[in-house]
Amino acid sequence: MITYSEHTLSNGLRVVAHRARGSEMAAVNVLYCVGARNESPEKTGFAHLFEHLMFRGTRDVPDFDAPLHKACAENNAFTNNDYTDYYITLPKENLATALWLEGDRMSGLDITPGKLEAEKRVVIEEYNQRYKNQPYGDMWPLFKALAYKVHPYRWPTIGLTPDHVAGATLGDVEAFYRRFYNPANAVLSVAADVVPEEIFGLAERYFGTVERGRKPDEEIPQEPPQIEARRLEVERDVPSTVIMIAFPTGPRTCREHYAGDILSDILAGGSSSRLYQNLVKNRPLFSSVNAYITGDIDPGLFVVSGNLLAGVSEDDAEQALWGELRAVQNSVIGDRELEKVGNKFEAETVFGELNVMNKAMNLGYYSLLGNPELINGEVAVYRSFTPDELRASASKMFAPEKSNTLIYRSR
Amino acid sequence: MIAPEIVLPRSVALLSVERLVLDNGLPVHIIEDAEQSVARLSLVWAAGSAVQSKPFVASTVLNLLAEGTERFSAREIAERLDFVGSYFDATLDRDYAVMTFCWLEKFFAPTLEVVSEVVLRPTFPADELDIYARKRMEWLALERAKPSTRAREAFAAALFGAEHPYGVSSPQGEYLNLTRDDLVGFHRQFYGADNCFAVCSIGGDAAGRKAILDMLAQIPLLARDKISPPCEGGVPQSGEGVDSASRSQLSTLNSQFSTVHVPFPDAVQSSIRIGRVLFPRQHPDFVGMQVVATVLGGYFGSRLVRNLREQRGYTYGVMSAMVNLRAAGYLAVSTEVAAEATEDAVAQIFAEMERLRTELVPQDELENVRRSMLGEVMRILDGPFGVVDVQIESMQLAMEGGDGGQEYINNFIRRVEAITPEDVHRLARQYLRREDFTVVVVGDTKYSVSV
Repeated sequence: MITYSEHTLSNGLRVVAHRARGSEMAAVNVLYCVGARNESPEKTGFAHLFEHLMFRGTRDVPDFDAPLHKACAENNAFTNNDYTDYYITLPKENLATALWLEGDRMSGLDITPGKLEAEKRVVIEEYNQRYKNQPYGDMWPLFKALAYKVHPYRWPTIGLTPDHVAGATLGDVEAFYRRFYNPANAVLSVAADVVPEEIFGLAERYFGTVERGRKPDEEIPQEPPQIEARRLEVERDVPSTVIMIAFPTGPRTCREHYAGDILSDILAGGSSSRLYQNLVKNRPLFSSVNAYITGDIDPGLFVVSGNLLAGVSEDDAEQALWGELRAVQNSVIGDRELEKVGNKFEAETVFGELNVMNKAMNLGYYSLLGNPELINGEVAVYRSFTPDELRASASKMFAPEKSNTLIYRSR
Repeated sequence: MIAPEIVLPRSVALLSVERLVLDNGLPVHIIEDAEQSVARLSLVWAAGSAVQSKPFVASTVLNLLAEGTERFSAREIAERLDFVGSYFDATLDRDYAVMTFCWLEKFFAPTLEVVSEVVLRPTFPADELDIYARKRMEWLALERAKPSTRAREAFAAALFGAEHPYGVSSPQGEYLNLTRDDLVGFHRQFYGADNCFAVCSIGGDAAGRKAILDMLAQIPLLARDKISPPCEGGVPQSGEGVDSASRSQLSTLNSQFSTVHVPFPDAVQSSIRIGRVLFPRQHPDFVGMQVVATVLGGYFGSRLVRNLREQRGYTYGVMSAMVNLRAAGYLAVSTEVAAEATEDAVAQIFAEMERLRTELVPQDELENVRRSMLGEVMRILDGPFGVVDVQIESMQLAMEGGDGGQEYINNFIRRVEAITPEDVHRLARQYLRREDFTVVVVGDTKYSVSV
């Protein structure tokens, strides 16, 4: 249970504060509601490139990291499809330093052509490291492009091609900053052993003067319903063949999302799960299997995948995955299996909130979803599902005409 | 806006740790906090891959502990733990095998029932070994398709010698040569109470605490003829549990420094590892060299990050660190750089080392490094589980003959604080000589490195 208080500054910045009693550390999390889904198809990868630029100094603080090192702080950031998250952890005595730096870079960013060019090269090397110089590096980008035809989720956060990153201009940087980086489009969350009123006072001091800006109200192109199965087969120099099958699910806060999460857990959560017991242990077809939901804010994907053992036929393996997908539609999921899933979500929630950083980050995320109360209420949502509702969800979700299959074949 | 004043914490507040030695000689450290609803138990055996006489035995024993016991099948173990959301994590390095269990305190009893089976009565079923070996072979083949894995293996071989217990890597097919007898024998030889310690972080429940200690007290001693008496505090002595053959091998290190280029045709990046063997963590210069490694490439403001990433854009990341092994210890720099930048990246890394040998580190920069190291310790200690990691480190240090006492972490902080620019200069002059370093590059041989 995470207690928290909320407050909105007059410029629209939402502030969420958790008093982390007994902790020596403070965590400051600033989440901007902008990710790869806000990019145009000609300039993909920009949200992530911009995240890198946020560390390149402002008019008042040319070296962002220097005061943080002095304050014993560590900081980093990540960008995903939906949002960009910046976090700092430091001794609680230095909380003000973190808030000062975050408030400062919300309005004072100072990017020169030289900084932009150097950072583009870093991001292109990140692209090379993650996607080009790795076995299976292009598997996920190929899979996304297969499963989405319209929605910006069809490209990876790093971008469709390094050329898009290389082509970014200072004009793009300025426009993006103005449009997305303002208080009305951000959430500040803090976890520290400090009373919320004091946190709100510090937030007012360091963010209160940032101009209000406007919450971007653009329409994100939504994916039309899928009516036909899709399939892609590629051959690569990799040690083993991978089969991935994805189905569209609902948006993050609807029941379909939770049903998908529970089904993925029944299929592949832990080594007692069905896929692991049936297809890795009892009938060894795969060296590893997985099932998960992408969990994006807009309608996401339910994915099952497996790495084939040497000598196993692709058809047998693919049919075996389908067999498990049919089993959750045709037979009743037992009460014990449901209770297990409920217990697991409860444990994962508790284990996911053990330090101030997790707490601040989770509070920011649930505020972005529009309902911070979910941070304490989601376990009850998981426990509210009946076997019948799950079976109905599985039947709706795992329709063959809604499948997207990638065969990533070992040459 | 005026910058807020920065406050420097001078020491780290620690939860009090209770130190026990059980009747079987097993040292146990307990951290109790009545407020917490989660628990963690870690067991550490001096049973890493360096002591194995057949490839992959050490990791296989550890990974099969939970794949069948006298009372429970692999499936029952998985089912019982998953049912209450408890989990375990097994990690193996060259020296140690570590098994960590975590659970919600309210599910303590059903979890401990399984944990005690896994710790006390594993059976290593032959059919589970078969499945594991096949699965694991594929996994290793996949890992070895990554340039970074190839670099790690080639680097270990170059530093220590390809036959040395710290340098060897074996073909993945060796998994198929393992037998159940190998596992049972290794378990009997290395998984005794006199080759192990435990650390737990638990809530305030007295019955739970007693049950854990009762279970740990049942771990038998190693099956062997003579048992050397445990040293003070019951911590096994350095080298105990390592048979004499591999011990003598551990002490003869390869002193040939070399440049190795592992071909990876058409790689768009090169994986670079540069390093040298130095000394293990009880050496008087170890902490000083940790500071040197941090100045060089151990934090985001480090010289290598500024040079290779921020100024030149050669890489997404570069880091350097002192790595501790029980009988050695080495300095390592690692990075993945654009293929065409390979040669200059290597040159820049050596240029930054040379700069540490010729110029004093500015006070201000050194202060940043000290504070970033202090902050790192505080971050690890935040939350109920990090303190277990610190205790494990201190008990390993004690096992290796160093001072792993109550003040371990604050001693570390004090030693870091005491390092001066002159110390850094002396250490750099002594230990960062170009000719003592080994270079490993995995990448397209078009971009070779001239040395």
